[in-house]
Amino acid sequence: MTPALRLEGLTRSYGSLTAVDHVDLTVARGERHALIGPNGAGKSTLFATVAGTLRATSGRVLLNGRDVTALSESERARRGLLRTYQHSSLFLGCTVLDNVALAVQRVQRVAHRFDRPARGFRRVQARALEHLESVGLAGRAHDTASELSHGERRQLEVAMVLAAEPAVVMFDEPTAGMSAAETERFATLLEGLPRSLTVVIVEHDLDVVFRLADRVTVLHLGAVLASGPPAAIRSDEAVRAAYLGAARTEDLFTGGAR
Amino acid sequence: MKAVETTAPAPAVAARPRRPARRGRAVAAAVTAAALLAAVPLVLGAYPVSMMTRMLAFAVLVLSVDLLTGITGMPTLGQAAYFGVGAYTAALVGVHLTSDGAVQVAAALLAGLAAAAVTGWIAVRAHGIVFLMLTLAIGESVHQLADTWSLVGGGNGLAGMPPVSVLGTALPAAGFVYWWVLAVAAAAFAVVALVARSPYGRTLRGIRDNEARMRALGYRPGPAKFGVFCLAGAVAAVGGALWAAQVRFVSPGDLGFEVAALALLSVVIGGSGTLWGPCLGAALVLLVRDNLSAHVGGHGALVLGAVFVAVVFTMPRGLAGLARRPRRTEARS
Repeated sequence: MTPALRLEGLTRSYGSLTAVDHVDLTVARGERHALIGPNGAGKSTLFATVAGTLRATSGRVLLNGRDVTALSESERARRGLLRTYQHSSLFLGCTVLDNVALAVQRVQRVAHRFDRPARGFRRVQARALEHLESVGLAGRAHDTASELSHGERRQLEVAMVLAAEPAVVMFDEPTAGMSAAETERFATLLEGLPRSLTVVIVEHDLDVVFRLADRVTVLHLGAVLASGPPAAIRSDEAVRAAYLGAARTEDLFTGGAR
Repeated sequence: MKAVETTAPAPAVAARPRRPARRGRAVAAAVTAAALLAAVPLVLGAYPVSMMTRMLAFAVLVLSVDLLTGITGMPTLGQAAYFGVGAYTAALVGVHLTSDGAVQVAAALLAGLAAAAVTGWIAVRAHGIVFLMLTLAIGESVHQLADTWSLVGGGNGLAGMPPVSVLGTALPAAGFVYWWVLAVAAAAFAVVALVARSPYGRTLRGIRDNEARMRALGYRPGPAKFGVFCLAGAVAAVGGALWAAQVRFVSPGDLGFEVAALALLSVVIGGSGTLWGPCLGAALVLLVRDNLSAHVGGHGALVLGAVFVAVVFTMPRGLAGLARRPRRTEARS
């Protein structure tokens, strides 16, 4: 079966700094793939390059076997490749419902209709409310997004990206800033997602990682250090040294790894 | 038993707050405002009525600025150009073809749409201050064109427009012209209000708040912005046709920088993003410029500047913010 997402030698450089260094990665359809690595490992840059926000310096991104490297971010999103942001990126002047409805109405192809008020599009409204309910924000549907707390904004971000009906979704540290209860709700939500959906997740909470992930890839200094099932990653010596077992963060920068 | 009955529906009410009440109040306010405006010629004399006719025409221009600035987040100084295109088109139609008001408005609308389509495809590629400067350049270019082109009277302007007629009857009195202008302005308001509330309006607000995120959701902001730019051009041109119907004389001054700046000022004073606020702002701005100015020795611009500063400091959400604030606290408590 063609993998949902395949990266071939993906590289992104800023001048002499190579933030993403020849990353090869294959994510099967329906897989829950976790991406871990210390701060500065290039996880967010990798996401941005895969999503098309940043142009790849070299290498290819294949979505369901089709090369999308030349496509814009918007075109990749239309083909089902979506991502969330490490720092919530919302429509703060709009209502919470509008935030999610923006994703829904694009999928339902009514985003440019102006023959009647938005609330007349019942299917959009109902679908948006469903997504809000799934993250526990239905009660705040008519509040302005800027009134939400940090944790609620993270939840809204999740609802918005799922409302866009992605085939492959990349979560960039989704639980950062969530309370324990919110993290639990997010993990449960993710477990309940259909297997037609492929998930790549950058996460620092290793409990969440080992609970959800089928496979784990460790990124270090922009390159793939190891990739495999969670159990194998846990016992990998190089990973232990670079990340999991590093007693002090300074070890990561003083040649402790490899 | 009764206590159970009364407490049970409470969460459902809490989950879906304030929408129906707000809608009811908005409809009531709109009906009241329309009735009051329609009654104006019955109460006031010819001069105040003609004054208010111009306010309505100007309010349509301001509406188009609000559509771009307040709803889509594209601050513009170029809408006076399309206002002028509409005014000149209506006047040319009036002088050479027909005095039928509906034909004049339709011709102006098409001309405004075409002018915005030709100029807009460049402008919408820019953002923020660059977009503002581009629209300013468009405005000044059209102003120059009107000032030098002899076909439209050049610097002397275009005079000799006969009184507007509607459905075959000429409207000689100021009151009838007022009603005609009010009807068209109300229609323009309804169209813009519908667009603002539609899924397309939601798309535009999304672009205003976070264009990058829109792209990440799979939107193509470019065409959406071009569409609203054309619509705003058409609306501004309709305002121009209405202006011409009342004044019956168009000069390059009607599409100059001053008009564009006053339109943007009206949006800020009224509260950008709301539609009725900028309409009130338009009335206030024109009142100060054309009436109050005479009483303060021609220093109308100074008064407007003072009003602007006062509004920015005391009412950051403009006139519309005054109505919103009590509702907010009510909803919170």
